[in-house]
Amino acid sequence: MAIKMKKEIKKFGLIALMLSLTTPVWAQLSDFTLDNGMRVLVKEDHRAPVVVQQVWYRVGSTYEQAGKTGLSHMLEHMMFKGTQNLAPGEFSKIVSQLGGQENAFTSRNYTAYYQVVGKQNLEKVMQIESDRMRNLVIEDAEFDKEREVVTEERRWRLEDQPRSKLNEQFNATAFLNSPARNPVIGWMTDIRHYKAQDLRDWYQKWYAPNNATLVVVGDVQPKQVLALAEKYYGHYQPEKIPQLKPQIEIEQEGLRRIELKGNTQVPTLQMGFHAPSLLTAEDQREVYALSVLSSILDGGESSRLPQSLVRDQQIAAGVGAGYSATDRLHTLFELSGTPANGGDVKELEAALLAEIEKLKTTLVTQDELERVWAMDEADHVYYRDSIQAQASILGSLVSVGLPADTLDNWIENIRSVTPQEIQAVAKKYLTLDNLTIATLYPDGKDHSNLKPYTGRL
Amino acid sequence: MVRFMFRFIAGLSLILASLQVSAALDIQTWQTTKGAKVMFVHSPGLPMLDIEVVFDAGSARDGDKWGLASMTTAMVGTQTPELNEQQISQQTNALGARISGNVGRDMASFSLRTLTRESILQPALKLFTESLTQSVFNPQIFERERQRALVGLQQQQVSPSQLAQNAFWKGVYDQHPYGHPVSGSVETVKALKLADLKAFYQRYFVSANATVSIVGDLSRTQAQEIAEQLLADLPKGSAAPALPKPKGLSEAKQQIIDFEASQTHFRMGQLGVERGHPDYYALFLGNHLLGGSGFGSLLMEEVREKRGLVYGVGSGLAPLKVAGPWVSYLSTKNESAKEAEKVVKDTLVAFMDSIDDQHFQAIKDNLIGGFPLRIDSNAKIIGYISMIGFYGLPLDYLEQFPKIIESLSKQDVLKAWNRHFHPEKMVTVMVGKPG
Repeated sequence: MAIKMKKEIKKFGLIALMLSLTTPVWAQLSDFTLDNGMRVLVKEDHRAPVVVQQVWYRVGSTYEQAGKTGLSHMLEHMMFKGTQNLAPGEFSKIVSQLGGQENAFTSRNYTAYYQVVGKQNLEKVMQIESDRMRNLVIEDAEFDKEREVVTEERRWRLEDQPRSKLNEQFNATAFLNSPARNPVIGWMTDIRHYKAQDLRDWYQKWYAPNNATLVVVGDVQPKQVLALAEKYYGHYQPEKIPQLKPQIEIEQEGLRRIELKGNTQVPTLQMGFHAPSLLTAEDQREVYALSVLSSILDGGESSRLPQSLVRDQQIAAGVGAGYSATDRLHTLFELSGTPANGGDVKELEAALLAEIEKLKTTLVTQDELERVWAMDEADHVYYRDSIQAQASILGSLVSVGLPADTLDNWIENIRSVTPQEIQAVAKKYLTLDNLTIATLYPDGKDHSNLKPYTGRL
Repeated sequence: MVRFMFRFIAGLSLILASLQVSAALDIQTWQTTKGAKVMFVHSPGLPMLDIEVVFDAGSARDGDKWGLASMTTAMVGTQTPELNEQQISQQTNALGARISGNVGRDMASFSLRTLTRESILQPALKLFTESLTQSVFNPQIFERERQRALVGLQQQQVSPSQLAQNAFWKGVYDQHPYGHPVSGSVETVKALKLADLKAFYQRYFVSANATVSIVGDLSRTQAQEIAEQLLADLPKGSAAPALPKPKGLSEAKQQIIDFEASQTHFRMGQLGVERGHPDYYALFLGNHLLGGSGFGSLLMEEVREKRGLVYGVGSGLAPLKVAGPWVSYLSTKNESAKEAEKVVKDTLVAFMDSIDDQHFQAIKDNLIGGFPLRIDSNAKIIGYISMIGFYGLPLDYLEQFPKIIESLSKQDVLKAWNRHFHPEKMVTVMVGKPG
């Protein structure tokens, strides 16, 4: 059986997950807005006496300017470093003592904080989460230390990981003027030159109730959650939130290609075509067609890329396709792959492009479409096993400005996509002039001296 | 980017302990007529079903054919007498079912997740059953999967965390069946024969060596029928023999693997205990405080929060059929490696000497208060009952856990730690250019 392997394209994370999910049962979704503009979404799930609170801020790496990339992520780290009411680290200690789990994450489009706790502890975590919305204290000494932590994080995620580095540089090549080119963690030189004041300013600018969404999912009553939200978040004044410049990516007029050499034994390939998202598309049907197309290529073991390139032709050890349909900005339709043992990366590139050409000349079959629908329908039930996943989907949708019920209509929209529409978007977007290709090659150094030796440290 | 990602170490299946409040799970258990153990929890919330079938057929059963269990797991379900590979994947996807395999040191496990709607459930069960119990080992598929495995193994040779991991297990276990990597090595995987895989499948993929766990929206009667049919075509066979007990280290072992990178990956640890060991609770509670609970733990406080030396640091116990390891881990820029190592050692030694009252109460509160979170989804429930079934833990294991944690004193924890752990006799591995 297919042993669980790392997907070729992982960067889509949540979004990719979300797009494989579908439809309603939003009967239990309650959608409120506080007087100060803070959105409150509550979904009941009474299977266990547990609740998740998430607070989402509309700020991420696509909000950042050159020279200060990664600021949103660094601020996420500083949010645990104390407020006017809590000492550095105390937030986490309180959640831990409640038996809770907590963390935070930053993406291109948002920064989010969450705690999972027994339902009797919802009020406590709401109190401390609301505290750090407005009362954060960024001390120079704590900031200096945490910046070191973030540089270690970057070393761990990027500097010593050639494939992650390839992805970072691929992205900065595909996007020339759009802030979608910014790495979420920030360039190392930018991280090194943050000042504590940069973080304070960033916090002042974006952390306000009218730039935030509260999502609560679990064993709760919506009215009770609304009352708590009013008590803890409702008294903050709204702020004037800056208007972002559009920074629309220029049109690509010819193939772009980069190479990276690194400490790897096998080459890998990443390819991307510019494509609209649900937010940037003139016609959203194109987005649904691209989503189905993505699943036809790489949705389950029976889809085209694993079947054709891994199993039939045996050109690839692994392949993937991905499309992030819910990005705030213009996005990419991506392909990636690792050649089979001893295989040629050029051959793999040609084979991937041949699969794209096939989509333009031959209509996809009804069987293929039905498999995509069946998987989507099942996934829509499976994801509800996790209250975290339910909350994350809601939060990520509304944080980019999509309706909270986007998934309500997802299956319906997917099911209405025709083979002709899929062919049309393939012809329109998946063209060579609209393509960026990044290839990672072994650096040619001799790594055969990796013989461990034993000695005193 | 998350603020801190728990870096669960590949190879340590850190389904750590498991704690539940007394709102206990109603776990039911029985044996199939062919001698397989069944664990079942009725969970009516969602119209879906999870099944996990675990065989005592992990890499500890490889012998000198390293990678045998892993390659067998990859091959199971690629073909049956009735269906070829493409038909299997098409039918699985057309049902929206998820079927996957996984392999570790102790076990090879196979999972099905499906909707319970009758028109889907029956064909999904049939497909899963046939994939698992009537697997055909096709030489072409084997060769292809071997080549894919070799690509992965080559990449492991330039992954500092993987190198550190492999060296650590080797350091602790040496020639013991846990000592080699689960996926084998380039040389041993190249040497595998299809006949080896067939023999492994015939020996270990038998009813008496299986534990079946079922969670979902179905009755016990249905679960009984499903379990019975699932393994009907497997021979009864016999359970795998007991594994040898690993020997602890008599002296410290230190290893530096020279590697071109900006960070050094560090591991330090030793033999811990097996599942079901009476001291496990005290060791677990202590580890939770030392390095097992993220920002609630001492290592995080000392190495990251006070000194900013790392992004990730922690420690974990991985109890197995026989004594599993305890390991502490971090990665830091090469220049800081020796400082970080010293902080880890000092923190461990200080912790084993005395525990602060406030810390002790806080970590107990965390474990007891966090209990409901551990069984709040079908995915988590099946993980626990499968573990309880496979390792032969008592059915009230989850219920008892918080009660035992509550009853433990600081002295209990310190005594257990000092009985089992010896900072002067540990395995230390550094991969990088520690300077």
